[in-house]
Amino acid sequence: MNENFANEFERELRRRLRPVEAPEGFAERLMAALPPEKKSTVVAFIPKASRPVRQFGVPAALAASLLGAVLFGMHVANERVIEEQKGIAASQQLMQALRVTSQKLDLAYEAVNNPPTAGDEENRS
Amino acid sequence: MSLSAAQPMPDSLLAQVRAGDRDAFATLVRAHQGSVFSIGLRMLSRRDAAEDLAQDVFLQLYRKLDSIESLEHLGFWLRRVAANLAIDWLRRLPYSATRPLEEGAEVAAQEKDQDLLMSRELMRLLGELAPHPRAVMLLRYQEDRDVAEIAAMLDMPVNTVKSHIKRSLTALRGQMIGAKLVDCEELP
Repeated sequence: MNENFANEFERELRRRLRPVEAPEGFAERLMAALPPEKKSTVVAFIPKASRPVRQFGVPAALAASLLGAVLFGMHVANERVIEEQKGIAASQQLMQALRVTSQKLDLAYEAVNNPPTAGDEENRS
Repeated sequence: MSLSAAQPMPDSLLAQVRAGDRDAFATLVRAHQGSVFSIGLRMLSRRDAAEDLAQDVFLQLYRKLDSIESLEHLGFWLRRVAANLAIDWLRRLPYSATRPLEEGAEVAAQEKDQDLLMSRELMRLLGELAPHPRAVMLLRYQEDRDVAEIAAMLDMPVNTVKSHIKRSLTALRGQMIGAKLVDCEELP
């Protein structure tokens, strides 16, 4: 195909493909459809003096820690009492066991040293 | 009335837009609305769809202003988004299959060309091209972009762009000659 003809065709194409106007009022409609402007965020500064909660912050923390310490102490003391009671009970049980054992040994010793006599046997039969 | 894209704009305009100046944004819109709308119109062959597409493109721009580096980049970005969005829309809805001729006629009528029939036929034939070659042809002959830019805009190899241009030109010329709308006396 002739080169001049090809160039002429491309020129013609460019001419006929020029951008056309956007519809009337396009920009206005678009601007109306835009999301609203971002409003700048105002960060309020509140002086420390105007924050009543903060004024009681330290005493409240102290009171809470004191209460915690007292409760912990009571818990520890209670645990100690319970342990002592358990120890006493165990000691009493041991003493009782020793007493029973001693009585048994006494009976056995008596039987070995004083065996029953023949009369005793006859009396039995 | 649109400003011409070639009309010089001050470099500070982009900074004003980024700072939230809506009037400055409207100036940018008016400077580029013709090109973006024309890409939509010639890709989708419908004025209503083209206006929707153009609005979508500029709304995307508004949301992504921080990524625009310069006014030159802005022009590139707008055409890239418009062309790719139109290709996506064509994949979902076959606009061109519905009424390419009527809308093409509107475009031609606006040009007030003496040879109305040729413009009308050209739009019809352009509308028959597949979406990618059509976008390539518009970016080449409507927007006057070179092949490297078109390749970057449409994310395709340069040789593919060249191939689309060559095949589309051959097809368009052949059909225009066939319809006796082009003077072929110069043909050997």
